[in-house]
Amino acid sequence: MIRRFFEQAQLYHKGRRAAFSGEEFALMQVGYPLVTLIFYCLIASYSFKTSNLTSWVIGNAFLLCTDACVFSLGNAFRGERYTGRLRSIIASPGTKLPLILANGLYPALFAVVASVCGFLVGSLVFGVDFSGVHLGLAALTILCGMASATCFGLFLSVFGLMNDSMHLVLNVVSYLLILFTGAEFPVSQLPLAGRVIAQMMPLTKSIAAMNSLFSLERGIFWTLIMAELATGAAYALLARFLFGFAERCARRNGQFDLF
Amino acid sequence: MNLAVLCSTMRVQMKQSFARPMFRFCLIANPILNTILLYEMYRSAGEENFMAYVVLGAGLMGLWGCICFSSAGDINRERYSGTLALIFATPASFPGIILGKIIGNTLISLLTLGISLLTAVVLYQVPLTLGSPLYFLLALLAAVLSFVVISSMVACLLTLSRKTELYMNCIEIPINLLCGFAFPVSVLPGAVRGISRALSPTYAVELLRMSVWGVNDLAAFWNKLGILLGLTALYAVLSGLLYRRIDRRVRIAATLEVA
Repeated sequence: MIRRFFEQAQLYHKGRRAAFSGEEFALMQVGYPLVTLIFYCLIASYSFKTSNLTSWVIGNAFLLCTDACVFSLGNAFRGERYTGRLRSIIASPGTKLPLILANGLYPALFAVVASVCGFLVGSLVFGVDFSGVHLGLAALTILCGMASATCFGLFLSVFGLMNDSMHLVLNVVSYLLILFTGAEFPVSQLPLAGRVIAQMMPLTKSIAAMNSLFSLERGIFWTLIMAELATGAAYALLARFLFGFAERCARRNGQFDLF
Repeated sequence: MNLAVLCSTMRVQMKQSFARPMFRFCLIANPILNTILLYEMYRSAGEENFMAYVVLGAGLMGLWGCICFSSAGDINRERYSGTLALIFATPASFPGIILGKIIGNTLISLLTLGISLLTAVVLYQVPLTLGSPLYFLLALLAAVLSFVVISSMVACLLTLSRKTELYMNCIEIPINLLCGFAFPVSVLPGAVRGISRALSPTYAVELLRMSVWGVNDLAAFWNKLGILLGLTALYAVLSGLLYRRIDRRVRIAATLEVA
């Protein structure tokens, strides 16, 4: 069972990277997101007129997972439909959860790598100071954030069964992450409705937790981490529930798409 | 070049582009979301005229996004749908048809500037002033011409590759960064500024910004306009050479497929 899970994860990964060479894949997963981080940090340095970009490096380093978690994972079922496996997956009597999780394994790993690279680039290019930061807790925060973002990506992927415009959906969602996670500007700037949405988004609490580690105010660190994990768990459950619903509709209607 | 072919290609292209969800995202959602993001980032910067960085920045980022995800990939899209050979062999000139597509895309993409302006006015009621409207119009015309020529060159380059989708994704943010769509290029390090100065959109953005603030130094305006037009002419020559090379290669190999 566990072996099959990892084999499946490996196959999904091969499928995603088959069209690209190693360099191109690295460019896509890490290089391009790093340029994005530098772009937003430069806007912040000019607009907020500051040379201390720690908060933006943290926020954008977390957002580096967007490519892996939102775009790669979000297109999972669209990919299954495209390659003709959707029928087998829906009709199979086995549980779908390991399949969904296997799909998210490699994107989550790449998200962690991209995020760590983001912190390194932030340190080298923008002089972010890691001294005094508890590295173990920082690593834990990254892992929790990426786990939560991966669950969010799985939740989004189910929408691939409900509409045929996933590019549109995923691009809008990637902007919503930029706007509502507090990566580019403080969440407190948003109106009340925006602040509520911000708390429902993945990564918001991880970014706040990482900021608390850098500002050496660890009072609310564990609360934020637990809240982030709860957000991720909620999205995983929602993904499972939505997929079950789509599966039932597919069996009842005799077709795989809900649109 | 037949004007009727050019006009009908433009019309068909506009309709085809608008039918694609990704283009609708670039055209409508992208400028709205970028305006919100840039406004939130610039609102505490003490900037009084949000036209220069928020509206222009978001509009130009949207315009470039439309070019990346439409004009740049149009030849590849024709190949995918099996119509490239028909377009290539038709008595109307192939470059004329591609130019018609690119002009159609660029004209419809100018809507991003209007949408960005509308978002800033409706959502934030921010003060927007246009210092020199006539110079703005002149700068906009030069910018459109420049974007049309760049699109044509990028479309040519991407014709030679199977991985258009990868490159389309990877050119969006670097150009936003290098050409200073959302901040002045003076923020960039010296070595990177050298690359910025070789890209015509950098001058287009600077001219537009100058006319938003009001043109006080006419010599500087004409100087930048001259450089912009010179670079545009250079790109046009390069684009023409590329088309000839591709044409020759296609005739020798007797195929429009890439290796």
